[in-house]
Amino acid sequence: MVVECLTGKKVLMKGNYAIAQAAVLAGCECYFGYPITPQSEIGEYLSGKMQELGRAYVSAESELAAINMVIGACSTGAKAMTSSSSCAVSLMQEGISYACTDELPVVLVSVMRGGPGLGNIYPSQGDYYQSTKGGGNGDYRTIVLAPSTVQECADLTYKAFYLAHKYKNPTILLADGLLGQMMEPVEFKPYPYSEIENSDWALSGAKGREPRIIRSYGPLAEDRCEFLEKLFEKYKAIEENETLWEENDTDDADVVLVSFGSTSRNVNTAAKLLRAKGLKVGTFRPITLFPFPSKRLAELAKRVKMFVSVEVNMGQMIDDVKLAVNGLVPVELVHKGVGAPPDPEDIAAQVEGLL
Amino acid sequence: MTTQVFKIADSFKKNVKYTFCPGCDHGVAVRLVAEVIDELGIRENAIVAAAIGCSVTIYDFLNIDALESPHGRAMAVATGIKRAKPDKFVFTYQGDGDFASIGWAESMHAGLRGEKISSICINNTTFGMTGGQLGPTTMMGQVTTTSPTGRNPEYYGYPIKMAEHMALCDGVAYSARVSLDSVPNIRKAKQAIKKAFEVQLQGLGLGFVEILAGCPTNWRMSPAQAHDRVRDEMMQTFKPGVYKDVTADIK
Amino acid sequence: MEKDFIIAGFGGQGVLLAGEVLANAFMIDDKKVTWYPSYGAEMRGGTVNCTVVMSDDEVSAVQKSKADYIIVLNQASFDKFTSWVRKGGSIIVNSSLANVKKTRDDINYVFVPITQMAQEKLENIKMSNILALGILSKVSGLFSLEILEKALNNVIPAHRKNLIPKNIEALKLGYEYDLFNL
Repeated sequence: MVVECLTGKKVLMKGNYAIAQAAVLAGCECYFGYPITPQSEIGEYLSGKMQELGRAYVSAESELAAINMVIGACSTGAKAMTSSSSCAVSLMQEGISYACTDELPVVLVSVMRGGPGLGNIYPSQGDYYQSTKGGGNGDYRTIVLAPSTVQECADLTYKAFYLAHKYKNPTILLADGLLGQMMEPVEFKPYPYSEIENSDWALSGAKGREPRIIRSYGPLAEDRCEFLEKLFEKYKAIEENETLWEENDTDDADVVLVSFGSTSRNVNTAAKLLRAKGLKVGTFRPITLFPFPSKRLAELAKRVKMFVSVEVNMGQMIDDVKLAVNGLVPVELVHKGVGAPPDPEDIAAQVEGLL
Repeated sequence: MTTQVFKIADSFKKNVKYTFCPGCDHGVAVRLVAEVIDELGIRENAIVAAAIGCSVTIYDFLNIDALESPHGRAMAVATGIKRAKPDKFVFTYQGDGDFASIGWAESMHAGLRGEKISSICINNTTFGMTGGQLGPTTMMGQVTTTSPTGRNPEYYGYPIKMAEHMALCDGVAYSARVSLDSVPNIRKAKQAIKKAFEVQLQGLGLGFVEILAGCPTNWRMSPAQAHDRVRDEMMQTFKPGVYKDVTADIK
Repeated sequence: MEKDFIIAGFGGQGVLLAGEVLANAFMIDDKKVTWYPSYGAEMRGGTVNCTVVMSDDEVSAVQKSKADYIIVLNQASFDKFTSWVRKGGSIIVNSSLANVKKTRDDINYVFVPITQMAQEKLENIKMSNILALGILSKVSGLFSLEILEKALNNVIPAHRKNLIPKNIEALKLGYEYDLFNL
């Protein structure tokens, strides 16, 4: 497999490989990781490719070490990433909290599998909370991008690097075992974003300037309050500038099916099946899970009669949908605990049962 | 005519408030590190991965770029810095709890990978910042706030010999244990720090120095008594010496 | 139009690779397509299968419980997947490793001694998977041998290109097998 932009040419590829190849094309200079199914192909691909390109690849001794290696690399302004899955992303939560408060452009690819605990290796969306709410300590947010196709796995990997560096904020590409393992045609266009200047903050040695300290410890309460206010102003700016979603047939919809990631594929077909039966059904897919497209959902809530959150977990994103809808209309759940998303026919039948 | 007999290193920040406890040997260790950085002329190219514990304030004293690592992860953080910017001089400054307890996996694996970084680790046989609890280097019989009847092996196991262990890692180029109990030993300590820095600059592998240091506050001793304990007790269990030096073979 | 394909067999029979070649063929033909493997914790042995979905529109579900065409390369897969064939669909059975037995009358059975042919005609049973794709091309009429040849070029890595002629031979052997001579 070569790493080159193949504009206009499609390659059939697993989501994991598409992510890895996009990372290389996005200019990722360092990869640090530890194997875990169902995302091991990312590290496997990069182990050879990074060496070939003279970039850094380290087989870390643990996910704990991996995320901290990324923190170290990012402190120099480098584009660096790690990838992992569910129970192992749990191990990284401390590092993510530190990276948020250190304001470092960490990129984490999280390919969800079944949980909690060791769970299993099948696809899942059970880490919506883990990604969007975080398991680390303190007040922080991470940008979360959720692809639903292999093409988006590549495109949103580009975007993850861009946003992480633009906002100096950890950014998570949240895929799942289905997207990681499935193949689909993908086209690699050139990295479409501008490079972000980092010479005003990155550690490079205190040559001709005062030393820089990147730290999360702030001994004074007043300083900490001020820091947190600024941090949350940044999150607000991210929400204003970067919220992304896709919606279909919502103009006249009575019912809107909300889903993210691979589940949206099946939900789109379910909506078509329901439309064919004369039911006014639309779909809504948040692409950024943080920032969550709450404002748009709130607008829709003024005329839609019901929202249905469709998820492969026990119901997590539904919380954010409910917060956005704020009690205006009912928000129902159609879900499956783990595995590939429910068949479109199943989803359609369950939605029909709710009407 | 005047002769200069002492100069504060350029790598030591001017007019900083001294925040270590009175009689703490961290102050001496940081000074030695600053002097070695000056002597090697690497101040403007250096980045330190600070750790958690009393050692964390290194960035308040050193006039160099710094990144504060999560507890135990300084060696992983330093690995990331070095791999991203191989031309920078990268070192960690840690305590024994950070290096050998919560961060032992990171420390050993950095050594096994032969990361071109250096690590300075203070051994004062206790968790200092949190008030003197039993740590990985607490000596047999030693009373701490979490070993009220003294360290006994049935209950608490045994102390770790960091310098010996690091010497066993194939990627480590230099591993030594030094002591700050006396002026001659302080001079030796500085030489060891210099050596641990030089092996990185020469691209030979990881350089490690374990520094035996007094913690008068948590030991409930005067500074002089603390140095007596370092000499009479610690140095018996933790023998100073060079445990590995790949440059010795080259000579 | 959407058509669903499942290829199943033992681990080591090249099931996933055959699926990848098939999916590449549809991609080359400008169709929307997905490939999705069954994957378990075991690295070797056991049964393995993959699902290929070809569609004119974006593919939604990538894992299916029914398919229009199913290739089964061993008995265990035959047992498991017979009920998965859609009414009017086809199942291509490797009769070298599965009993010739019809349990449904609403599907089309295609029994071919795939392993035996690969051994006798190609002197390589590892060609069974590609030979089966030749049969599928004929049975489904949904993709040509020429496109399969191009797909092989996509899938076989550069340092193995010497294997392509043999694979093309396997495709033809499958395609030209007399399906009515049963």
